[in-house]
Amino acid sequence: MAEQNDTSEQPLSLRTLCTMRSLLLHPSTPQHTVSSILETLARSPSHHALKLLSDAAALRPDLALSPPLLPSPQRLAVEALAISLTRLNLDDTRFASLCFGASVPVRAWMLRNAGAEFEVRHGLLLGVLLGFTKDPFPHVRASALEGLVGFCERGGESKDVGLVDACYRRAVRLLRDVDPSVRFSAVRVVASWGLMLAASNSDMKAYWSNDIFAKLCSMARDMNMKVRVEAFSGLRKMEMVSEDLLLQSLSKRVSGHGKQKETLGQRTSEQFVMLATNVAGALVHGLEDEFFEVRKSVCESLRTLTSLSSEFARKALDSLMDVLNDESEVVRLQSLETLHHMAINGRLKLLEKHLHMFLGALVDNSWDVRYTDRKILKVVKLNYLALFKSSVDSLLGSLDSYPQDEADVFSTFSHLGRNHKKFVSLIIKDMFEEVETALEGNVEFNSARIAALLILSISAALLNADVGRIPPVMFSYAVTFLGRIYNAFSDIMDRDALLACLCEKSRSTEYSATNINPGEGEQQFPLFEGDAPNFASNEVIGSKIDSHITREQKEVANDQVEQQQSVYNEVTNLINYILAKLPDMWPRIQSGHTNEVLRSLRCLKELTTMKFDSLGSGDADALAFTLLYLRIIELLAEVWNNLLPAKGLCYQGIGKLEFKLGKLDRRVKELMSRFIGFSAEEELNVLELMLLTYTLRISKEEISCINHTLKRLSSLYLRVESILKESSALPSNFLVELGKVLSSTSINGASCSPLQFEACLKFFSLKQFVFHGPIKHVKAELSVPNIDFEHPLPFVSGLPVGIQCEITLHNILSESRLWLRMTLDDGFIQYFFLDLDCSEGSEEVRKCTFVAPFYRTAEADCLILKVCIGSECLFENVSPVQKFGGPKRELVLLCNEKQVYLSKVSKA
Amino acid sequence: MAIETLVLGAGQEVGKSCVVVTINAKRIMFDCGMHMGYLDHRRYPDFTRISPSRDLNSALSCIIITHFHLDHVGALAYFTEVLGYNGPVYMTYPTKALAPLMLEDYRKVMVDRRGEEELFSSDQIAECMKKVIAVDLRQTVQVEKDLQIRAYYAGHVIGAAMFYAKVGDAEMVYTGDYNMTPDRHLGAAQIDRLRLDLLITESTYATTIRDSRYAREREFLKAVHKCVSCGGKVLIPTFALGRAQELCILLEDYWERMNLKVPIYFSAGLTIQANAYYKMLIRWTRQKIKDTYSKHNAFDFKNVQKFERSMIDAPGPCVLFATPGMLSGGFSVEVFKHWAVSENNLVSLPGYCVPGTIGHKLMSDKHDKVDLDPNTKIDVRCQIHQLAFSPHTDSKGIMDLVNFLSPKHVILVHGEKHKMASLKEKIHSELGIQCYDPANNETVTIPSANYVYAETSDTFIRSCLSPNFTFQKCSSVDLCNSTTVDRNLMPELQVEDERVAEGVLVLEKGKKAKIVHQDELLLMLEEQKHDA
Repeated sequence: MAEQNDTSEQPLSLRTLCTMRSLLLHPSTPQHTVSSILETLARSPSHHALKLLSDAAALRPDLALSPPLLPSPQRLAVEALAISLTRLNLDDTRFASLCFGASVPVRAWMLRNAGAEFEVRHGLLLGVLLGFTKDPFPHVRASALEGLVGFCERGGESKDVGLVDACYRRAVRLLRDVDPSVRFSAVRVVASWGLMLAASNSDMKAYWSNDIFAKLCSMARDMNMKVRVEAFSGLRKMEMVSEDLLLQSLSKRVSGHGKQKETLGQRTSEQFVMLATNVAGALVHGLEDEFFEVRKSVCESLRTLTSLSSEFARKALDSLMDVLNDESEVVRLQSLETLHHMAINGRLKLLEKHLHMFLGALVDNSWDVRYTDRKILKVVKLNYLALFKSSVDSLLGSLDSYPQDEADVFSTFSHLGRNHKKFVSLIIKDMFEEVETALEGNVEFNSARIAALLILSISAALLNADVGRIPPVMFSYAVTFLGRIYNAFSDIMDRDALLACLCEKSRSTEYSATNINPGEGEQQFPLFEGDAPNFASNEVIGSKIDSHITREQKEVANDQVEQQQSVYNEVTNLINYILAKLPDMWPRIQSGHTNEVLRSLRCLKELTTMKFDSLGSGDADALAFTLLYLRIIELLAEVWNNLLPAKGLCYQGIGKLEFKLGKLDRRVKELMSRFIGFSAEEELNVLELMLLTYTLRISKEEISCINHTLKRLSSLYLRVESILKESSALPSNFLVELGKVLSSTSINGASCSPLQFEACLKFFSLKQFVFHGPIKHVKAELSVPNIDFEHPLPFVSGLPVGIQCEITLHNILSESRLWLRMTLDDGFIQYFFLDLDCSEGSEEVRKCTFVAPFYRTAEADCLILKVCIGSECLFENVSPVQKFGGPKRELVLLCNEKQVYLSKVSKA
Repeated sequence: MAIETLVLGAGQEVGKSCVVVTINAKRIMFDCGMHMGYLDHRRYPDFTRISPSRDLNSALSCIIITHFHLDHVGALAYFTEVLGYNGPVYMTYPTKALAPLMLEDYRKVMVDRRGEEELFSSDQIAECMKKVIAVDLRQTVQVEKDLQIRAYYAGHVIGAAMFYAKVGDAEMVYTGDYNMTPDRHLGAAQIDRLRLDLLITESTYATTIRDSRYAREREFLKAVHKCVSCGGKVLIPTFALGRAQELCILLEDYWERMNLKVPIYFSAGLTIQANAYYKMLIRWTRQKIKDTYSKHNAFDFKNVQKFERSMIDAPGPCVLFATPGMLSGGFSVEVFKHWAVSENNLVSLPGYCVPGTIGHKLMSDKHDKVDLDPNTKIDVRCQIHQLAFSPHTDSKGIMDLVNFLSPKHVILVHGEKHKMASLKEKIHSELGIQCYDPANNETVTIPSANYVYAETSDTFIRSCLSPNFTFQKCSSVDLCNSTTVDRNLMPELQVEDERVAEGVLVLEKGKKAKIVHQDELLLMLEEQKHDA
């Protein structure tokens, strides 16, 4: 013991603590030793000592009540005691003795935690707590009140109404206590026990609810901020308050007698007169408070209170709108959350006077505030067109200020449109004009703004069969923005569903318009008016109608065919709407808006590719054509960009141009050779592209190369002329001019000038390609089984090697001339003619297997052979090079090249 | 003992605030102001009533100045340097910093523009301020052996304070001007619960109840925003201290939130200097400004630029703060001449303008043509917006403060006579507190508390350490605040702690008072009976 006394002034060492622990836990340790140890531990400031103290108390409960420990004023000692006591089954006697003991800190702790943690008889517990609300020490009074709150929060309930009433009244008196912490706790008791009191008697519930409300409101003017926050938090728990008192809380002036309502009786009317002074302006004071915590608390309380009375909600709305000008983001955000809650519950009626503040929040510099404001706009019902217009304008303004909010702004427009169809129909004309001007004109446009207007327009009609006044072309425009806007509708449909809806909306109206007013049908083909007489347009319309009737008859005949036709119609319409975009792009290409056009084309390609991937192979032919067609237009735009006068060509540019022209040449030939089933009109359209390509090449080539291209151009032109004669169609301006130049050239012989051909280019304009019937995709599939890099085909040098090929052919015409082309790395090419008579199957699908001999087996140890299938261009009559045994015309490849690995047989 | 309150100024009027309180033989002068409406001897309080023999130093224990407005501090330099008072003068640090600016500004106006005789010089102002002892909020200052004073935050203007004084057992509070509602740069009045014998409170707006501050802010911001959005110019005539900072914080916050780029200008002179003071005195502002101080000083206005005279006719929208307020002359009037002729522009005037000023003329309905001076008439086409900001508490604020403090007596000062009478009646009837509204040079005498110090016996102390509860149920008939007849059906449970109740105060001749436990009393009586 002497040693322990020596170390009592310093932190106890772990060794000493271990010794103490052993002594404490041993049953035979003398009492005086235990007392000394406890005394030392209680004085020690270290954490270990207190831990040991609590452990000892847990293991030997009698120690917790030892006299030396209790008088200790140390806060830490009390906390250690607290830890140990939570493990005890405290009985009534011990509870009372600790509360009435001499140690005030112990008493305070016991009272504070009694309500929530101890299993003590309710009568004793509440009696003790109530009694100590009279204690001279403020923190004991506060602790007793907190004990009452804890009792209530644990779900404690007293059947003794008198006792509940006594606790409530006692707390009411302590609202005027000198000490702020007592007032703070008193507010909590008034809120929780007051509600218990109100619940105990249904006849008196209205009376007590009003009383509680008034008592809490009276604390709105307390000088302590925490007390004020707690008072307003208490209001959040109100379940019932008379409307008169609620309205009074929003007005600092005390109004006269409240409305006489028989249902509430004279009792609450008298009560109002008494309580009005307490309540007057309480919520206004709270919203004006210096501390944001208080203001936030008021906004939260209004969430509950506005659901109690619609009249009060209407009046409170004005105050909440003004809070949107608060300096604190936290308060502004809470105000908006409350407004959102009101909107969801139908309590939010926006008026003109609210617009400045409410729409101003859309451009607040806080992301959270802007987001929450938009959240309200998504659910609120605007009752006036002016409100709707202002909201739309402010949302568009926020797009300019905060482009990073685009996704959610678009979503808001989607909701606005769906919720206000009538207003959308009223402003659709203005929106359409703006959108049309932007998309059809040659000016740069604000794409975010246009996308927003499109979302607003289409959302109003998206889920309805009736599209009302919305022009069908708006849906077509929306298709071009699909990638950007589909997220705005992600809450109701996915991307594919949206695309289907958009096509549905624009198609059905077009059909309806055609039937209702045939004259308007001409608008569907605007270019024909410029290029052909009216009777041609009528013929086209008639043809469309007849075609539709024919399809209808077929559908009646066969259900399966009907389904196929339905899918086919959908695809055809989609393709036609995509292709309808292209003529409008040509003026923009000519005026130099190349990047913009390329962007649109990429969007259309993406759309087509998406659809292509989702369809079965049997229905993909038209989409494949469309994809290739879009690529050609893309190349054309790029080539044309280099022809503009403003951009001079440099040496490198010429090289690029040559490459692009070559690529363009190949693409157009693919278009001609790999698709069959064109109508005369369709064939003319494609041939004109071919002629354009040759004209472009001539206007840029050196003189020494012109003759070769000129021959091909002349030959192709003759073919076009023959088709024109057969179909009685009129040539386009470009063809007319080209014919003149060619005639002049033949007259003058070789003395022609590229400038003449360049002049022809100005007359070219892109006509819309319209599908009238099915076309088929010519393609081949080639495989060389069992041969790959690891399993090369063996060969003997100098001897031919047989390459076994499995070939599948689609849509090959009987007059087609197919070749198998085999190429070595060194450029050597060998051709092998495919005799179709040997193959099996119909014209649609042919399959055959044959062995192709390859003769040039050199001395190398290994070879890589590239094999593919090509078809001769039947529309060309000029053969570039006369070769023995090879194709007489240029080949168009029908499949990708396959690599075949050859390995020399080793003699060993 | 009695507390005597001699009202030398602001009695049933606003101006020359000066209250001399004699409390337990100590004499304290609260505020030493001047009246702006008078140029003769009525400008100052009648100081002869303090001491007929003019021995001011022995007559007063100290002077306490609540804030830097001239009607509260305007006579101080005269009182100390001309009349010769040399005793202590207490005010808060901001008031000490800003009061000399106000005094100097007033002196210049009187001498330079009106040709009046100089009542005190710049040197005398400086000399006066050397005598000032600055105090902090909630700092208890021991003036003399028995005299303690303490400052509490009052709002109103920066540095304004309510002062608590305690002499012996008597306690009182003098509010000066205060505001129970915070604004953008100042907090609300803040005070502890005290046992007061007397509360002396301003009653400027004794019968006015003001609606929400938010609505006034919204109207102001809306008018300004609308004007600059249309390319117009906004002129805000204002005095340098207080109002300019308040409105500028409001605009700065709004500009920041709405990403506006329109410039805000301050005219040269006192305002820029005043902003420098406000930057230094951050501790005396409200919560948000103090909280954000480490990141950004709220008075370091980012959007504010200095205005040059050459910019008056520059094109484009802007907002200009120009002195003085009320358009009572100076630069603000000069700008007004140029901008008033355009309907795109806006002039924002304070709620109250002194009659005779251009501002007051613009307040009337017929302000199409205004005489700027005998030779100049101007055609006013610009928009007029009347500001509704006021740093004084309204009547509800006064009632709330009186209710919170619940003093035994209330004296009203700094208000209009009839309105004060109305408020007095209300305080008496609603709160049950005796209330007075003396006129100038009147004295109000009220009783003060006197506490007896008593020894306690050991037995009584021991009994106090042990709680002793009793519970009883009372019929509601006994309750004086019975509310409804239905209450009779429910007996009320009451709790009492009898620890203190068991004490008995014993007063014997020739001995100190003593509190003993009731059990001890019987023993004492037995002893006395035995001796007899």
